[in-house]
Amino acid sequence: MAFLEMRGVDKRYGGVVALDDASLSAERGEVHGLLGANGSGKSTLNKILTGVVAPDRASIEVDGADTRIDRPQDAHHRGISAVFQELSLVPDLSVTANIVLAFESTRLGFVQRRRDRERAAALLERFAPAFHGNTLPLQAPVGSLSPGEQQIVEIAKAIAREPDILVLDEATASLYSAQVEVVSAVVRELRAAGALVLFTSHRLGEIYDLCDRATVLRNGAVAGAVELAETTEAELVELMVGSVTAPAQEVVEGRGAASLEAARDVPRLEVEGLTTDRLQDISCRVAAGEVLGLGGLAGQGQSALLNALFGAVRIRGGSVTIDGQPALPRRPKQAVDHGIALVPGNRGREGLFPVRPILENLTVPSMRGRARFGVLSDAAERAAAVRAGEQLQIKYGSLDDGVMTLSGGNQQKVVVGKWLLTDPRVVLLDDPTKGIDVRAKAELYEVITALTEQGVAVLLNSSDDDELLALSHRVLVFFEGRVVSELSGNELTRDRLVADSLQVAAT
Amino acid sequence: MNLATLRDRAQLAEPRDLLRNPVVLSLLVLLALFAAGNLVAPGFASYGSFVNTLRIAAFLGVIAAGQTIVILGGGEGIDLSVGKIATFSTVVVAQVSQGEDERLLVAIAAAFAYCGLIGLANGIGVAYLRIPPLVMTLGMVGVVTGIIRVYSGGQPEGRAPAVLSQVVNGTALGGVRGSVWIWLVVAVCTIWLLRRTTFGRRVYALGANREAAFLSGINVQRNLVLLYVASSLYAALGGIMLLGFAGAASINLADQYQLISIAAVVIGGTTLAGGIGGYLGTAVGAVVLQTMRNLLIVLDIPAAGRQVVNGVILIVLLSLYGRQRRLRQ
Repeated sequence: MAFLEMRGVDKRYGGVVALDDASLSAERGEVHGLLGANGSGKSTLNKILTGVVAPDRASIEVDGADTRIDRPQDAHHRGISAVFQELSLVPDLSVTANIVLAFESTRLGFVQRRRDRERAAALLERFAPAFHGNTLPLQAPVGSLSPGEQQIVEIAKAIAREPDILVLDEATASLYSAQVEVVSAVVRELRAAGALVLFTSHRLGEIYDLCDRATVLRNGAVAGAVELAETTEAELVELMVGSVTAPAQEVVEGRGAASLEAARDVPRLEVEGLTTDRLQDISCRVAAGEVLGLGGLAGQGQSALLNALFGAVRIRGGSVTIDGQPALPRRPKQAVDHGIALVPGNRGREGLFPVRPILENLTVPSMRGRARFGVLSDAAERAAAVRAGEQLQIKYGSLDDGVMTLSGGNQQKVVVGKWLLTDPRVVLLDDPTKGIDVRAKAELYEVITALTEQGVAVLLNSSDDDELLALSHRVLVFFEGRVVSELSGNELTRDRLVADSLQVAAT
Repeated sequence: MNLATLRDRAQLAEPRDLLRNPVVLSLLVLLALFAAGNLVAPGFASYGSFVNTLRIAAFLGVIAAGQTIVILGGGEGIDLSVGKIATFSTVVVAQVSQGEDERLLVAIAAAFAYCGLIGLANGIGVAYLRIPPLVMTLGMVGVVTGIIRVYSGGQPEGRAPAVLSQVVNGTALGGVRGSVWIWLVVAVCTIWLLRRTTFGRRVYALGANREAAFLSGINVQRNLVLLYVASSLYAALGGIMLLGFAGAASINLADQYQLISIAAVVIGGTTLAGGIGGYLGTAVGAVVLQTMRNLLIVLDIPAAGRQVVNGVILIVLLSLYGRQRRLRQ
């Protein structure tokens, strides 16, 4: 019986299976890797162990005892700490306050600030080489630190609780190699002290460097548990990809690949050396009627490129042209004027006006073109909304109903529909089918096809690799803010995509 | 109007929906207030008394229109300076016109210009310098207070030109005063502005989800500035009307509208989180507040007690608002 045993873990999000009878077994004094391609369920498994996500079914045993983990507090009480890529720090509190948050040293109910400071200082001492020998300013608000420094504070905070099990889920993603080495050293110390560290990283090198064994997930189930010393990178990729399922080729077929080839000489969208905080020197050309897929592991710069092309983030350098005209947007309004549309990744937070009716959600981006001196005609607005609704087969009772009364798939169609009304030349889709049902997905695929038939250039980011391969004419593979390869034709396969995502030489 | 809209209107008319409609609720509260007042003092609910209530509520109604727009725009938007801006407007008109009719138009233009500039400063502070609206507009109260003192020497000169007083206080059509007619025009224009213009749609979009508004190609900062400019222009108009009613300016004539303008907006069903509501509710809210004030007067409650009651009402309303916001999440 291993120290940590997770068995029969099931989790569905709506109709989507995230985990299907997944399991994990790991010992004290071990650094255990958790690997998998996009959508394999590794983050979900981590979140279930740390109480962030409630499983549909799971049996978790820690040290031989049945353990229920319903909330993050339960995980804390059982000695489980976690660091995710998204930080959980309070920006306005000091470094010390963040590290000891909810763990303050107290005496008779009073916080002993000096003791807290000493604890924090001792902890950060272990990370000192990451800051060229200097320790972090303990009194500085965390918000004033660099992203990498914040990440290290987050790790220190997790270690401060002296966990038996430490989950590091892409915790090194925003760190420089020198900082990674320091974190690795701390992880090895923890291992020597008898802790179990569960380690997830998109950098295979770090996995090989740190981990003893690894569990590989595929489509929510365990594809294998391996000794890393006896497993090559290529074998790992094979485990992640599995028996290659043919992508839905029928979607790609019949799109007139030949005419597309000809059209590529005159790109609709041309990006040259685009650089932002998150992107390095991105160049690409997209022809009218072409779907360019943005692939790679989640968060490697795919969304960042879409946001940059839409003017939602600051651009440091490079050029963007549409139909030969300069179209580098400084803000979304300029992008819209250039004929660019963005279906953002977070539908609720970035795409919808939740408390407003369907009508307004559909018409706001395009209303300027229909207004005369800023005055709207109710009939024209409704006609436009009805048009978008029919084109996308949106199912609604009345245009005056709140947009949140719609199903997830129909909400997403509203977000797409509001852009159709602007007659875009370039459409940026940021994971448009995340969390919507199969039927709505199929309908959205039809919309994408219809867009390309109208000569729209489409950039598609998808966390679903199969979908990406099926819909895209070409795929750019991203790794840490750079494009590392371009796949087209018969290279558009799942194992090439996964191998390139992890920067492993193709088998 | 096509069939679909007719059906939509018909759906709204279901009794349960009606009781959830804040405008209808406010109207019911208004009826209850008049009924209660009539028990204490027969004649409280008479036509003449009602028309007189409207006459006074008009000033609040106009000033609260700007407050409605700012609050609808969300992002903790609130304009605490409307009362002081309206006061400034009374002082400017009185001093520039010196009570002479032929200088009235110049005086009104000056009031709108000066107050518009104050609104512009509020808007720039909130939109570009990212100062929280509460802090920015409260700070502006202090600034305008100082400007009024310097500008008027502590004792505003001049008075309302006769024409202004006649327009505001004159009666037409069934004993309804001029101030009510002005208010009616303002109300119609404001409702139209919010419902039938791109500006109105942007106000709701900003309030409903500022991030989504930005990503829909709305120039968030410029539109935020416009909210505060609009608010100060409404406050300026309210001040001009108030001067016509009061006859002479003072250095605190309209200060009371700072808080009750917010109360009128909240009673009218506009949520402080923004994005939901409209001016019709605020207009009813203004009448409710004025009627409540009248009721406290006929109940013979002293001024201090009336202030306490006003404050308690505001607290109750805001706590109800908190519940509403939780429901939204």
